[in-house]
Order: sequence, then C-alpha cells, then structure tokens
Amino acid sequence: MRVAGGKIYVLGIPFVEAFAHSCKNRRFSDSFVVQLTAEDGTVGYGEGLARPYVTGETVAFSVDFVKNELFPAVVRKDFSPIKTGIDPVEALREVDESLHCRNDPAGIVPNAARAAVELALIDCLLQSRKLSLGAVLPPKRNFVTYSGAITGGSVERAVRHARHFRLFGVNQLKIKIGGEGDVDLVGAIRRAVGEGVSLRVDANGAFSVRAAIELAKRLKPYRIDAFEQPVPPGDPYDLARVRDSSPIPVMADESLVTLTDASELIESSACDLFNLRISKCGGLRQTLAIARLAERAGIGRQIGCQVGETAILSAAGRHLAAFSEGVDFVEGSYGDLLLTEDVGRTAVKFGYGGRAPVLRGVGLGVKVRCEVLEKYASSVIDLKKELVKYA
Amino acid sequence: MIFFDRNLLNLQGEMKHSEDLSQIIEAKFAEQTEEFAAGQCFVALETGRAGRQNYDRFIADLCRTHLKSPHILAFLFSVSPPAAASNLRHNLLEELGLDDDGGISHPAMLLELASAAGFDRSARRELERSAQEELRRIICDPIMFGTLKEIGLSVLLETIAFEWMLSRLAGRMGRFLAAHRGLSGEDLRWFAHHSEVDIRHAEEGLEAVADYIVFYGFDRTDAEEILDVTFRENVFTKRYFGEMALARETGVFG
Repeated sequence: MRVAGGKIYVLGIPFVEAFAHSCKNRRFSDSFVVQLTAEDGTVGYGEGLARPYVTGETVAFSVDFVKNELFPAVVRKDFSPIKTGIDPVEALREVDESLHCRNDPAGIVPNAARAAVELALIDCLLQSRKLSLGAVLPPKRNFVTYSGAITGGSVERAVRHARHFRLFGVNQLKIKIGGEGDVDLVGAIRRAVGEGVSLRVDANGAFSVRAAIELAKRLKPYRIDAFEQPVPPGDPYDLARVRDSSPIPVMADESLVTLTDASELIESSACDLFNLRISKCGGLRQTLAIARLAERAGIGRQIGCQVGETAILSAAGRHLAAFSEGVDFVEGSYGDLLLTEDVGRTAVKFGYGGRAPVLRGVGLGVKVRCEVLEKYASSVIDLKKELVKYA
Repeated sequence: MIFFDRNLLNLQGEMKHSEDLSQIIEAKFAEQTEEFAAGQCFVALETGRAGRQNYDRFIADLCRTHLKSPHILAFLFSVSPPAAASNLRHNLLEELGLDDDGGISHPAMLLELASAAGFDRSARRELERSAQEELRRIICDPIMFGTLKEIGLSVLLETIAFEWMLSRLAGRMGRFLAAHRGLSGEDLRWFAHHSEVDIRHAEEGLEAVADYIVFYGFDRTDAEEILDVTFRENVFTKRYFGEMALARETGVFG
C-alpha cells in the first residue's frame, strides 16, 4: 500500500467543563488528527496531542514535524501489509521504523507527531485489508474497565464530579492534585465515594522530593493506590527517593517518554508503575515495547490517555488495554463526558461501571465523521500540497 | 393500625421530599431558561441583528430537536408511573395529532414551518435524516446509568425542561421569526401551540417528575445528581444553537 495524500486537522473541540491540573487549565481539546489517503482510496486516521511539559512538543511544532519530516518519509513508500498472528512489536516494525528516519530536534521528542502518523498508517493498512487492529493485538478480554478522572478546582466541584462517577458506577478514580488543600480534597472525595472505590492521585510533577514524601504520608489514611508523577521529570533518582519513603506506590508518567527513559527508571528502581500513553510514548509500537520492558521488570502498568483525546486515540488505547496482560488501571474513552462532541459516528466512550466493549470494526474501529473534524478545525493542512510547495 | 400509621408517615415524608425536589428542579429549569434567553444567539435573533442564515439554522436545529419528540414521549410513557401515565399518554397522542381535538401532528407542524422558511423537499428530508441520526446516536451510545430507572428520570427531566422553557419563550420565538424572517401566524403555529399548551404541560410535567421520583423510590442524593448531570450544559443552547454556540456562550471560546 502506498500513501498518496494526507491532511492534518488542528482541532479545538470545546470541553463540557474546563479540565485543570497542576500544569495546565484546559477549556478545549487541542488535539490534531492526521488523515492519510492510500492510492486505492482507503482513508486512515491517527491522532496526537502535543504536550510541551512532557515531550517538548507544541501543536505548531507537531504540525510542522508531520508536514516536513514524517509525511515526506511515508508518502509513496510501498508498505507491506501488516502481518497478523505474530508478535505485534514485529508486526508494526516497518510502520514504526519509517517514522524514525530523521534526527529529532534538540530538546524535543516528537512523539505526538509520530503517534498520529503511525496510527493513521496502521488504520489505513488494516482498512485496506478489511482487518481490525484486534487481529494484530488479539484481545484478552471482551470488556475494558476505565477509571474516572477528577480535575483540579474547588473541593465542592471535585466532590460533585466524584459523585457523578459514583452514579455512573465507576469504581476507580484518579484525582488531580498539586496544591495546599490536597489532603482535604482527597479526604472529601473519599468520604463522598465511600470505601469501595479505588483512588489514585496525580501531581503532574508539582512537588519537591521532600514535599511529595510528606504528602504521601499524610494521604496514607485515605488508602491511595498510586501516586502518579509526584516530582518533576528529569532525574529518575528523585522519583526513586520518593518511592523509598512513600507509603503509596509511585507511578512514572512525565518521566516516561522513551524506551531509554523506561530503562533508566527500571535501573534506578524509581517507581512501582508506568503510565503508558500512546501519544506520549510515540505510537503503539513504542508503547508496546515499553510495556514489555515493564512486564519483564515486574513494574505495574496503567494504560493512560491524553486529556482531550477524541475517539481515534481512545480506540487505539482500547485495543492496547484489551490486548495487554496484567494492566492495573486504564484511563480515557471519556468521549462526550468531556468533549462537547466527539468525532466518531458511534461513541467510543465507556458506559456504566466504566466498562467498554472491545472494538471489532476494521482499522482502529472508529468511523470518523469528517464533518465534525471540519467543524472544529482551527486549520486544515493539505500535506500533499505542502509537499509540492517545498519540493 | 400502628403499621398503617407508619406507612402514612413514610408516604408524607416521601411527598415532602419530592415537593422540595420539585422546587430545586423548577429552579434549575428557570436558571437554564434565563441563561438561554440572555445568550448572545437568542438575543441576536430576537433583536433582528442576526442574518437570514442564522434564522434558518435556528429553524433547522429546532426541527432536528423536536421531530422525534413522539418517540421520546413513547419511551417516557412506557416507563411512567401509574399516576403520570394518563397525562403522558395524552401528550403523546397530542404530539401525534391523535388526541380528541384531532388535527396535525407536531412533527408535521415543524415540517410546515421548514417548508414556509424555504427548505425544499431535499432540505426537509435532510432534517428528518439528521433527527433520525440523533435518535440513532442516543440508542447506540453507551449507557452511563445502571438501570432504566435513572435513564427514564434523566430523559423526563430534559423533556419537561423543554416544555417549561417553551411555555415561557415559544411566544417570543414565534414573534422574532414573524418580525425578522417574515413567517406568518399559520407558519408559526408550532410556537403558538407550545406557548399555550406547554404552560399546562410544564405544570403537569413537574408533577410527573415528582410521581416518578416517589414511585421508583429514588434516594434524594441520587435524584439530585441525575438532575446535575442532565443539566451540566445548557440543554436549550446546545440543542437549538449547537455545541459551538454553547462553548462561546459559556466562555470556553472567545
């Protein structure tokens, strides 16, 4: 299969309510969607979300990187069909390696851009053969169970959201923290949801090592199952120091972007869990490779998401979660619980109890409504025209 | 005898609890209606500052919202408690144009409105298709609640909210379409009908909600949370002006 054309939709889908954490207060999704068209007319979609405080990417950088580096690398290249029934890391090798042809710019890991193009290629390749991604990543279960996420803001608002999730039967919640009132916030949520709900906290690197350890000790009575990214990324030994003294298991998120990061975190015994996110980790194959390292090292895993992701990235996450063994937590698939409108013809979001079925449709399993992409696109870049312009 | 008295006390407690809730619910309807009427989209249409295409988009969104109302009412009738069933059945028959007064169905009134506004056959067919698509989406979307009991309350609340809002604003909508879009009284009878009939419907509707809450034994907190979830966005702005307008009017954009 050869890619003949492509587009990037830079989206601005409003949120139903603003989503806040210690690094960012978001009011709309700033996702970008890559659409690739094969010579046979098959269309595939992928998605990425640029996070400057995680990979160094901005949306503008990612768009330029797709336009100037990744699309020229894949257009007209003759891709072999993706093999099924073999190790998925092997099956996706050709697609992934086609996206590592240039040097990364200094200080920036272009993982969101890579993920978007990789997913679009996978979707396109599988659709052209009428295959589901489930044929490459055979599901180990029929349903995936998701956690809810409670954003920063007032205690009253957070409790209100926690009650909504309780009403929806969601039994695992992640609370965004990073301020002075964290203990009160977590306590109020614990009282609102009762003892039967699993709670985790995510600081997005808001604390110093000392403050993180102190907070973890103060949160112990509330039975917290994971403390995600307590300290800023950079030195895995900072995370390790928190882990040594924390009564709560420590999860690496912003610290874990590349395979090298994963190896260093394992070597320094920095954490109990990895948060694996497809856009952050550079696509499905890179995420699978990191997950494999974690499994071998006995590190727990969370299949995470990007806040504001649409049905496209959620679908990829669903396949990954259904395929993966021994996953502790799964996040994402919030659909129109967060976005005022999602891009899929049929919703990919979870239902009661946080449960969502394995996707069986061809490709990623999402029928993308182009009119919704057009409606919310702040800009649409025709990749083929750009290619001609700069040729 | 003691047993009977205790039951009576419980019943009175439940009635009191549902009366309090009715006040909270009506306050929520009022808040959403006020917000909707004060929003920039409604104000632009009412003051004549909007362009012709905005009036046409409003007519299209209104038709899309209400063309499948009989289906929604039929669902509500099927889950209605005995005390509310009679009113809901009457509303359903009225919506279908099959009540004692006879006459035209409400979806037919909406299509007449669209036709008078210049929507040709293909545009009207597109309105019907998109209303059907919206219904398909509702049916296919994962269900966030555990049982039909909660879904029924959420749908009932939204339906009654529209009747409550229309009983207060349908007349104003009809007037701005007459003044600024040149539609006649005959073209606008859906609005005339809703401004008159929905005052009664809205009152009956609040009673139906109270009956529903008592009949299905809702915990007060759960009922309040369903109210909160159902109206976490302004349902009128979202349905009549679309998601982007909703985002603009709530300050998400611009």
